[in-house]
Amino acid sequence: MSRFFDHYNAECSHFFDEVMATAGSPRHHYDKMLQRFGQFSLDDIKARREIVNIFFRNQGITFTVYGEDDGVERLFPFDLIPRIVPAHEWATIEKGLIQRITALNEFLNDIYHSQKILKDKVIPAELILGSQHFRREFVGVNPPLGIYIHVTGSDIIRDRHGNYLVLEDNLRTPSGVSYMLQNRQAMKRAFPVLFDKYKIRPIENYPQELLRTLQEIGPTSRRDPNVVVLTPGIYNSAYFEHSFLARQMGVELTEGKDLVVHNNKVYTRTTRGLEQIDVIYRRVDDAYLDPLVFLPDSKLGVAGLVNAYRKGNVTLANAIGCGVADDKVIYSFVPKIIKYYLGEDPILENVPTWLASNPDDLKYILANLSTLVVKAANESGGYGMLIGPESTIEEQEQFAEMIVAHPRNYIAQPTISLSRHPSFFNDTELWGCHIDLRPYVLYGKTVTIVPGGLTRVALKRGSLVVNSSQGGGSKDTWVVDE
Amino acid sequence: MLSRVAESLFWMSRYFERAENTARFLDVNFNLLLDLNKITHVENPNYWIALILVTSDKERFNSLYESYSAHTVTDYLVFNKNNPNSIISCISLARENGRSIIESISSEMWEQVNNLYHYLQGVTPQFVHNDPYSFYKEIKNASHLFQGITDNTFSHNEGWDFIQIAKYLERTDNIARLIDVKYHMLLSEAQNQGDIIAGSEDIIQWMAVLKSCSALEAFRKVYLSKVDPDNILRFLILDRSFPRSINFSVCAAEDALWRISGSSRHRYVNNADRLIGKLEAELSYTAIEDIYAKGLHHYLEDLEQRLVKVGEQVHLTYFAYHTPEIEPLDIEEALPFTGVAGGRPNWSQAQQHQQQQ
Repeated sequence: MSRFFDHYNAECSHFFDEVMATAGSPRHHYDKMLQRFGQFSLDDIKARREIVNIFFRNQGITFTVYGEDDGVERLFPFDLIPRIVPAHEWATIEKGLIQRITALNEFLNDIYHSQKILKDKVIPAELILGSQHFRREFVGVNPPLGIYIHVTGSDIIRDRHGNYLVLEDNLRTPSGVSYMLQNRQAMKRAFPVLFDKYKIRPIENYPQELLRTLQEIGPTSRRDPNVVVLTPGIYNSAYFEHSFLARQMGVELTEGKDLVVHNNKVYTRTTRGLEQIDVIYRRVDDAYLDPLVFLPDSKLGVAGLVNAYRKGNVTLANAIGCGVADDKVIYSFVPKIIKYYLGEDPILENVPTWLASNPDDLKYILANLSTLVVKAANESGGYGMLIGPESTIEEQEQFAEMIVAHPRNYIAQPTISLSRHPSFFNDTELWGCHIDLRPYVLYGKTVTIVPGGLTRVALKRGSLVVNSSQGGGSKDTWVVDE
Repeated sequence: MLSRVAESLFWMSRYFERAENTARFLDVNFNLLLDLNKITHVENPNYWIALILVTSDKERFNSLYESYSAHTVTDYLVFNKNNPNSIISCISLARENGRSIIESISSEMWEQVNNLYHYLQGVTPQFVHNDPYSFYKEIKNASHLFQGITDNTFSHNEGWDFIQIAKYLERTDNIARLIDVKYHMLLSEAQNQGDIIAGSEDIIQWMAVLKSCSALEAFRKVYLSKVDPDNILRFLILDRSFPRSINFSVCAAEDALWRISGSSRHRYVNNADRLIGKLEAELSYTAIEDIYAKGLHHYLEDLEQRLVKVGEQVHLTYFAYHTPEIEPLDIEEALPFTGVAGGRPNWSQAQQHQQQQ
């Protein structure tokens, strides 16, 4: 066994460790990796770290942290030890996600049409109609094929016992897929021999699959639909990803100012005049899409875009108003949503959730702030969170006030001890770091999930927050056939 | 091609060329002062002020520094981030433009501009002071490498033509300014000393002008060793085959513009083509005596203004496609030596910082 792993303390009695079943005995699918790392010296690791860093820097794979000096770009922290998911576990995740996404799409279709689920009182109507992401302007609009959520990235965690649970559904503009692809490239360069020892399912076809999905959802009247990516611009933290995907798909990357609407049709401004666009993979929030309908001072959108969309002359991916279904309050109803539309039990469980808007739950939440995780219903990226066990009394009191003032905006969950994975700290020793998994689901004529996803890792010791904006990093994720 | 992409290609190329030219000016000035060290010293402000005049930046310089010296001028032209034309600013802007179209350029091009940017972040004034030759060589080579990479990894279609237009317009502008300033200096010195423009120091200075355009060897092949101002001007302004002469650069810009629009001799389809065609035709039928008759300074000033007009028309024709509801961009943005170009004002930054899931 590797000298690195000799000193590794998995603390199996406290955490679910992805690599070690018990102290000193690795899970079977990690055997070959441990053998390979056993042959490495510290210098070998340093040399490989250098290969990876040069790769990321040359590709310009950096991200910006808001609130810091302008132009501060950091390399996205990358951990050299890959995460391995055996094929049979992946099969469950895949089935579970297809079920979940299909049901959530049915749910959106219903919410923006007849609202049966509200009439049947499965979900309290006020939760939907009062949601800030519910767009009443879209009631009755028919997106092609009835699909709303073309690209999604659900966050999956493992609990103390290794069960896969869904923590969050990201149905609006999930990011990170470029890191998934680039992590794989970096690993291939740095560890070619290790790569050869496993049967790793490829993920490189993601851009082609994405393009196929986007073409499938184009307006029916147009053959060979013209697809573009719409980005907020180079100052957006995910700008690299937007340009990366455009390049990989071979389509134009556009900003709002590149597009113009005439007679309810969308065009790009080119050096040779106007060119009509059919499908927009937009990475701009609903609120900024069209200054005529949403925020009037948005400089990122296109005036008239929403009308063009309603007319069916252009398709937006994802559709407008999907946020109503990935709200953390609605999240708690997803098991019921699956049952209601599909008549099935959920394959992937939820994390237990208390709603502050429910009086009994509110009492429980306020009494247990020091042990719960409280989340704002509409925030993403790890902002607006209280992690009970790590918080101060003042922070708890501050949250208690906010929760009482706006109960609809808050939910609470038990502090789940996320599974841990050995990761290199400073490239000298291994620590168990908490991880999650974000697979990317494409929904066109069929539902496609490339095997794997982005494993995010909390590279601060003991930290549970894996978001890149909060100091998290990532790992390559291998789905391997045994 | 998206207008915005074309515009970013244009400015990426233009800023890269500008950085190279600044490195050339500085490099040659150092060498020149070492050649002249019998009669002056490296810190002689008269020789440094010229570099500031070249960039028409006297006011901004004076607001930032108290005197002209090797130290202050180098700092201003290489490192100062308040100077939008310093080498560091130019490469940052070239990179920023490249980053905004990273999916449209080849990854090798991006790596090259990105590498140079990171290299510059690590360079200290002390390093430049100790070994100016290596530093400027690094910048010039990086620019040559970028052009070579572009030539070999980027399709030679419309986008490539915008890169060429920008490069050659910028280069023409720089050569014109360089000649103008040197001429101005020599003239005033000659008047002060009651001398004519042919003393040995003057020859050395004119040779420096040639060197800063990498033109000394090419010049010698044409005019042997007759280094006199007439021949030098003839070479730098009118030579048709040397890539750092004004005539060559204008022809190259014209070719690129015509490839984009399909214009040809005797027939133009837009104003950019018309203006560049007119300029090229005039240059082709101009003799050095015509330039003297007009006055060199006037001639060069007129040339610079006409280049600005060409730039404006390129902007209006290809980048500022506008619908009736939308005002055309402020023409200032197309002028050389003005702040951030590429139409990327900062007001939308805050909105771009929206959360990503």
